Amino acid sequence: MADIVNLMELESGQAVRLDNDATAEIVSNPGDGVWLFVRYLSHPDDPAQVGVEDMVFAQVITEVLSE
Amino acid sequence: MTITFQPSAFSGLVDRDNGLVSREIFVNHDIYAEEQERIFTRAWLFVGHESQVAKPGDFFISSMGEESVILCRDRQGEVHVFLNSCTHRGMKVCRYDEGNTPIFTCPYHGWSFATDGSLVGVPYYKDAYHEELDKSEWGLLRVPRMTNYKGGIWASWDPQAPDFLEYIGGFRTYLDILFDGWDGAEGGTEIIGGIEKWLVPSNWKFPAENFIGDRYHNISHRSVDLVGIGPSGQGRRDNRERDGAKSLDVSFPERGHGTVIFLRPADAQPVQSYQNDPIVAEYFYACEIARKERQGELWRILGGPGTIFPNMSYLPRQPRSIAVWHPRGPDQTEVWRWFLVDRSAPPEVKEFLRQYYIRYSGPSGLTEQDDMENWNYAHAASRGAMARRLRYNYQMGQGYAVDDFEDGGLHLPGTVLDTTKARAGEQNQRTFYTRWADFMAARDWDELAGWRNGKSANGHAAQGNGAAGR
Repeated sequence: MADIVNLMELESGQAVRLDNDATAEIVSNPGDGVWLFVRYLSHPDDPAQVGVEDMVFAQVITEVLSE
Repeated sequence: MTITFQPSAFSGLVDRDNGLVSREIFVNHDIYAEEQERIFTRAWLFVGHESQVAKPGDFFISSMGEESVILCRDRQGEVHVFLNSCTHRGMKVCRYDEGNTPIFTCPYHGWSFATDGSLVGVPYYKDAYHEELDKSEWGLLRVPRMTNYKGGIWASWDPQAPDFLEYIGGFRTYLDILFDGWDGAEGGTEIIGGIEKWLVPSNWKFPAENFIGDRYHNISHRSVDLVGIGPSGQGRRDNRERDGAKSLDVSFPERGHGTVIFLRPADAQPVQSYQNDPIVAEYFYACEIARKERQGELWRILGGPGTIFPNMSYLPRQPRSIAVWHPRGPDQTEVWRWFLVDRSAPPEVKEFLRQYYIRYSGPSGLTEQDDMENWNYAHAASRGAMARRLRYNYQMGQGYAVDDFEDGGLHLPGTVLDTTKARAGEQNQRTFYTRWADFMAARDWDELAGWRNGKSANGHAAQGNGAAGR
């Protein structure tokens, strides 16, 4: 089981992996421990999402890809 | 907003003609619950000051009646007031007192809202809601009426409430003394320091009526006068500017607002005050001269404590502050205190005033401690089975107020009771409770805006003294 990601420690520029295997770069962190503003780097389910900005929910973030 | 009920349920609690008020309105839980509906969802309420939300994303958590609200400035710079309750399950979306944020996130299920109130984040929106939830319908509840008057942010939950300036009517003349700069410059004030907040075991109406014009309780503060906490080291305030002034109680019975003022003689000149510090003394003296030049005859008015119905009170000069009496049950009030200074004042002046405000006001302030003793014990001694059968007496000065007060060519707006010789009166308190009864009886703002047709919700004549003297 992967470690729970602590959103409070994440900063803009870091990358994360989501539970649908998409990866995204953090655009900003509102610091609420619940949401991140991200830009998709890859999106296997829907490649058109690459480059699109979105809000992602803490519970779908599975891994931090870059420190 | 129209309320359906039996008006007779509250008739007789306020005997306006005889100056008597039932103690039940202070201690009865059913009446308290009705107040939340009839008064606090319909009246204009003070929420905060624009200087508290100066930058985009700034927020301040305030209260309207019992309910928590968010005062914030969105990314475009627009100021909003929202109910602090998630539209999904009602959880508070913000549990901080103040700060800066891009979004308000509900900690329960994670719905999140932008600073313009719109719903922007819904967990599992695609998979669980199948993207069928119309986010545009589920933003935070926004107050339908909000205004920024000289920096003060006011709001009402009633879409039919009159404009704020109509709500305060001629009282604007007196309220301006609070929000304008000491030199009379429009809206030249800002909040200094944090907001003092504390609980007192008393009904919210006790402090509201105290501030609207209770000169009679001065004996309570005699020990503070002896200590000498005022800006020149004497008394509670510097009172030399009142030499030769008339003491006047001014109220607006058709609106519920009132204040005590002092009216300087027509030939009065600025006097030295704030003598404990030469920089501060020079600042205020220069401001007085500037105000006299700017305001002409109105400069003669020295503002004193006042109350905007229902629960915003203020001291416009010494110490310059706003108090809101948030109801927290019939037996408890949460007091919030904002302190104002001139935005353009030198740092020495602001710090001098901050120290004076601390000495005077709040739970540690010497004067306010006296007041709380009175409110708390009066309330406690009025709750018992026997005590609550009695009525409070508000008969002082009844029948002696006039609607056309004039002095040296200056016509004052409002109903005026000259208390120069009497030293005290209860006209303003009668005004407050008359308006309380109006709100409890009226079905809607057509009835509450009695000044439009000369009749109040309770059937008594409503004076139209809205704009005289301006």
